Amino acid sequence: MPMAQKLSPPSFTRQKAMVEAQGISKQFGNLEVLTTIDFRLDSSEVVCVIGPSGSGKSTLLRCLAFLEPYDHGSVYIDGQLLGYEDRGGKRVRTSEKRVDQVRASVGMVFQHFNLWPHRTALENVTEALRLVNGLSRRDADVEGTAMLEQVGLADHAGHFPESLSGGQKQRVAIARALAMKPKVMLFDEPTSALDPELVGEVLDVVKKLAADGMTMVIVTHEMGFAAKVADRVIFMDQGRVVESGPPNTLFRQPKSERLQQFLNTWRERHID
Amino acid sequence: MFDIALLWEARGLILQGLWNTLWICFLGCLLALSFGIVLAALRLANPRIFGYPVACYVEICRGIPLLILLFLLYYGGPSIGLRLNAEVAGVTGIGLYGAGYFAEIYRSGFKSIPKGQLEAARMLGISPWHTLIGIQVPQMARLIVPSGTNQLIVLVKESALISIISVDDLTKNATAIVNQTFQVIEPYLAVALLYWLIIELIARSGYALEKRLANRQPRQQGATPHANGPEALTAIVYPPKSDG
Repeated sequence: MPMAQKLSPPSFTRQKAMVEAQGISKQFGNLEVLTTIDFRLDSSEVVCVIGPSGSGKSTLLRCLAFLEPYDHGSVYIDGQLLGYEDRGGKRVRTSEKRVDQVRASVGMVFQHFNLWPHRTALENVTEALRLVNGLSRRDADVEGTAMLEQVGLADHAGHFPESLSGGQKQRVAIARALAMKPKVMLFDEPTSALDPELVGEVLDVVKKLAADGMTMVIVTHEMGFAAKVADRVIFMDQGRVVESGPPNTLFRQPKSERLQQFLNTWRERHID
Repeated sequence: MFDIALLWEARGLILQGLWNTLWICFLGCLLALSFGIVLAALRLANPRIFGYPVACYVEICRGIPLLILLFLLYYGGPSIGLRLNAEVAGVTGIGLYGAGYFAEIYRSGFKSIPKGQLEAARMLGISPWHTLIGIQVPQMARLIVPSGTNQLIVLVKESALISIISVDDLTKNATAIVNQTFQVIEPYLAVALLYWLIIELIARSGYALEKRLANRQPRQQGATPHANGPEALTAIVYPPKSDG
């Protein structure tokens, strides 16, 4: 029915994207880290981004969160343009306040946890509840404890980060992000700084989130995990999306030579 | 032959000197600490228009001797209509001089907080002000206690220079006793001991503060929060250090 398609523009027939990047690019000095990336994430979708080091996957994630301002293109979070606005036909940076507003529905988990060391696990979770959402200490504590419960750490509420294992720290960081009730969670190599034995406990939490329908972008080196949890996998290299698709197709029948090569290297290292 | 009697006779001068050294150092250090944080804040603030002037100020403080700064304030001041009495010149000199150093100490404290912690705060929507007060300042404070203590000690020692602009501090009064009695060892040893006591006090306070600001350890497993005896309370506030 080509006629019907013509009559209704794509924006009406398509489900509204939770996160949408249109042709974004980013340069650090002379180095082009991202080259016109298009990216779309629907509600409840889980997308894993894989690729070699320096391929731009973390930068992509940081641009989606506007921790790195992208140079060209547009990022929409829940339909709202992130970081820029049109003023008299010219694109200008929005205020930090506006960025915060648009970004409020985005939670982020970092490779190095980034917990605040002078705050206990519970205080790490409740800080934003109190300061941003204006909860009383008591209400924030109740809410925060529930969040820690979700990641299996309610009994560690009073611990400072220094006395937690890497896996526990990352779970606290996840609880901290979840406490703000984000619609999208961005994970930047959440298990790359962990001992192999601790990877599982963090991935289990992420899997549970996926099962609960959380919308997520996960930059990861854990192929097995990506294969299991992702609705779609994106393979990046040299600042471009080389290939993307459902994990079964992507891992079993990689089309591009670069991905075949990447997967072969990975298999050589992981399967004896 | 150490003549204690001589010191006893001169106790008035020594105590006056001690008092003057104490209050001038106290106010001078207070000025240095507070002006220093203003400088550091200006240097790190966005937009960065203050960065360069503050950097210049810091370099000047580090580049000229305190004594010259005191001379400029006390003897040079009147020529630009700035008439300070010796004590005020002393406090101002120590304060302005120390502020340059403290600005750098604060800045190094702020800079050693990993950037990721601030990104985490930003992603949670925590405002820059709350991030500063709740996340940066407490960690900065903890990080700078050792170097800050050290700087305070240096300032107290260098305060002996205010004797040269005629402040009746420990050093000047000791010299006065020497000039009257022709005994050198006793007065100088006595004030040396007093300086050392002041500094020891600062050093110990620094250690105590360092401990106080360290993370309270988590409650030990099996501790009973509902037992409200004084010991239980102490155990909660200052629990025994767990390993690691």
